Formats: sequence, structure tokens, C-alpha cells
Amino acid sequence: MKLFGKTDFIIIALVLAAAGLFFVLNGSDDKALTADIIVDGEIIESVNLDEITDKTEFRPETAPRVVISAENGEIFFEEAECKDKICVHTGKLSRKGDTAVCLPAKTVVSIRGSSVDAVTY
Amino acid sequence: MKKTAGIIAFALVAAVIAFFAFTGQEKETTFTAMDTVVTLKLRGIGAGKQLDEIKAFVSDYSDNVISRHSSSSRISSVNSKDSGRLDDDLSADFDLLYSVYRDSGGAFDFTLGALSDLWGIGTPRAAVPSAEDIQQVLSRCGAGKTDYKNGEIKLPEGAVLDLGAAGKGMALDKISGLLSENRIINRGVISLGGSILLYGKKGETFTIGIQDPAKKNNYAVVLELGPCFVSTSGSYERYFEKDGKRYHHIFDPATGYPAESGLLSVTVVSQDSGLLSDALSTACFVLGSEKGMELARKYNCEALFIDENGNITVSDNLREKIEIVDPAFTLR
Repeated sequence: MKLFGKTDFIIIALVLAAAGLFFVLNGSDDKALTADIIVDGEIIESVNLDEITDKTEFRPETAPRVVISAENGEIFFEEAECKDKICVHTGKLSRKGDTAVCLPAKTVVSIRGSSVDAVTY
Repeated sequence: MKKTAGIIAFALVAAVIAFFAFTGQEKETTFTAMDTVVTLKLRGIGAGKQLDEIKAFVSDYSDNVISRHSSSSRISSVNSKDSGRLDDDLSADFDLLYSVYRDSGGAFDFTLGALSDLWGIGTPRAAVPSAEDIQQVLSRCGAGKTDYKNGEIKLPEGAVLDLGAAGKGMALDKISGLLSENRIINRGVISLGGSILLYGKKGETFTIGIQDPAKKNNYAVVLELGPCFVSTSGSYERYFEKDGKRYHHIFDPATGYPAESGLLSVTVVSQDSGLLSDALSTACFVLGSEKGMELARKYNCEALFIDENGNITVSDNLREKIEIVDPAFTLR
């Protein structure tokens, strides 16, 4: 007696196909340029930089206050009421892995998909 | 029979898929703590729960153990009384801190909180202090002037414990212990403000970018490493400029001024200690590449030095693992 019949193979093939689809759908989209705006450990906004044509401002509820702007495939801290303005001086982010931080406002802007696992500095 | 085989096959395949779906899942979070950015990336069953546990640990460890700016911390308690007893965990770390202090000839010193406060680098009131003020502070600081035995520590009046140059590494050691104990994470990258724990089984590889000292969001070098601890000290991270001169935050304990060793950054890789990679990167920055290399070797660590002329010097075992990304730098 055969252990596997035709129906079994069909079931296995279907399950494998579903698994393949699962991984494809769960895999990251390599092409899209997505920036996360993270405040106090929570992603409050994910911005698809490819889709933004007009200048868009984000004003998360932080103290000190910050203004984050996105336009032409770039995102940056435009204004910050913190004293050192390190976040503003970081400049415009446009490549995967680019990150700008305002520590006083506990705010991080980071473009997903860095080419390295981590950066030491 | 055929039906049973079909069900078994189905269950097996489903189990395999579920296993890979969960173990292959990477969970990631970014938040601010310890006055820096913390990024956690974990892969394995229960990664989400482990992420929350580490997040809670980082805040707790900073606030209650090592931060000198948190009034509830152990270090603050010692600072306020000029003495105190350290628990077993902390005293084991202090044994190693004293060892690096001695072996570096005092280039690494964790009692210079008063000197950092005097300069105020990284704060809006940063300014060049008078030479007299610097000398006065130095006269009462220094690990050599403290009394430390069996976990009991006594500080001379005015000395302030400051674990800014080792605390992140100490926290990474504890996180590494936590991950090993729980054994649910296959692969993890924990970055506490640029001090990194690469966690995984032997054979796992990671790519690490070393910050380009001149260009934000660029790497000077990319390293390929196995599981280990990596830390960098650079003069470009916290500084202020006055009359065209840059004053950075890594002090030479011998002079009380920012270290001038001709270096822009030092990266130290340790197989088994975050404390060592963190403390040694500072010590090596102060000592310069030649003496720094000797010190790293003494502790079985690898080191990479970037100097002001764009030269990169590396220990032998790192030579095969680096790729220079920015052509402004040359490997010597």
C-alpha cells in the first residue's frame, strides 16, 4: 500500500504554496523608502517617502516641541525647541538606515532597511 | 491508512511552517534611554516578550544602578555619601574597572564626574574652564585616590563616580546574560547608543558600520563580526567649538583637557565583555594608537583606530574582517 496518495500530494503542494505566499507577503518591500517617526518608543507615523510629493509636516506631541518635514524623498527635523538642535543639524535623511535623533524630545526618525545590522559610534 | 498519512503529512508541514514563521520572525524596537538611542532587534520564538523585558531592564538598570544623574541609583548613593557598599554584581564590575584603570596607567578613570560637570560638554553651558579650576578638580579626583576593598568603596571628598565610559557596556553584559539564560533568541542585535551586543550562536555573522567621523549617517568602515561586543569612542559625538578649536568629551585624566592623541575614533571588539569593549575604547582613545593597541591586546580584544590624517590602524585579527567604505580613509 502506498503511504502517500495523489490527494496527499495535492494537500502538501497546497500547504507549501500557502507557506511560500506567507513568506512573500511577510517579506519586506526592498524598494520602498519608509521612514518611521518614533516618539517615546512608539512608532507614531510611518511615512512612505516615495509617495510624498508636496511638503508634509509632522508635529508629534513632544516636549520640547519638534517639527518633522518630508518632501522630495527626504525627511528631516525642520524645527526643534530643544537647546542643542543636534536633530536639526543632522540634516536631511534620504537613504536606508539614515537616522536623526532629538534626545530631549525622545524622538527618533529613521529610514527602514539599513545595509548593516548596527552602527557603532 | 491513506487518510491518516495525509493528515500526518499535513500536520508535519504545518508544524514546520509554524516553526519557521515564528523563529524567523524579527522583532525590533527603538527608544531613548541612558541619555542615548537604544535599538533592539531580536529573532526567535517569544522575541516580542523578550524585547519588553530588555526594555524594562535598561531603564531599571540605568535609574537604579549606574546613572549618577538618577537620585535612586546605587552610584548616586555612593556619590552623595562619598562611600558605600556595592552588591556582588556591581563589585565584580568595579574589580574590572579598577583593573582597566591600573593597566591603562590612569587613561581610563571612572571618578571624573566633577571634571565632566566643570566642562559641561553636551550641555548648553559648555565652556572652557580656567586652568586653576581644572587643577583644583583634578587634585581631588582619580581612582587612585579612592579606597576600594571587598565591595566597599570610599571616595575622597569631591570625587564623583561617573560610569559614562563603561555603563553601556556593563548593561550589555547583563542583557547578554539575560538572553543566554532565557535561551529563546537565536539572533540579537542590541545597540545602546553605539555600544553593541551581537548575540547568536557560533558561526552567526553580523555587519557593523563604524561611524564616519566627518559625515553623519555615513560609515567609514564596515566590519563583519561573529557574536561579540563592540564599542566606539569618538571625538565627534559630543563637543563644542570655541575660537575655532573643538573641545570634545573624552578627557585625558592626566591634563583635565580633552584628549589629544591624534585620533578621531577607536573601536574595540571583545568576545566576552561589554564593559571591556566600552572602557577600553575610551582608554585607547586617550592613549593613542600605539599604547592603545598594547592595552587592547593585554585584554584579548581587537581594536581599530581612525586618526586625524585618515589613517586606519587595526589589530591583526580584524584586518580580514574590514571593508573601507569611505575612500577618504586608508588602511595602514
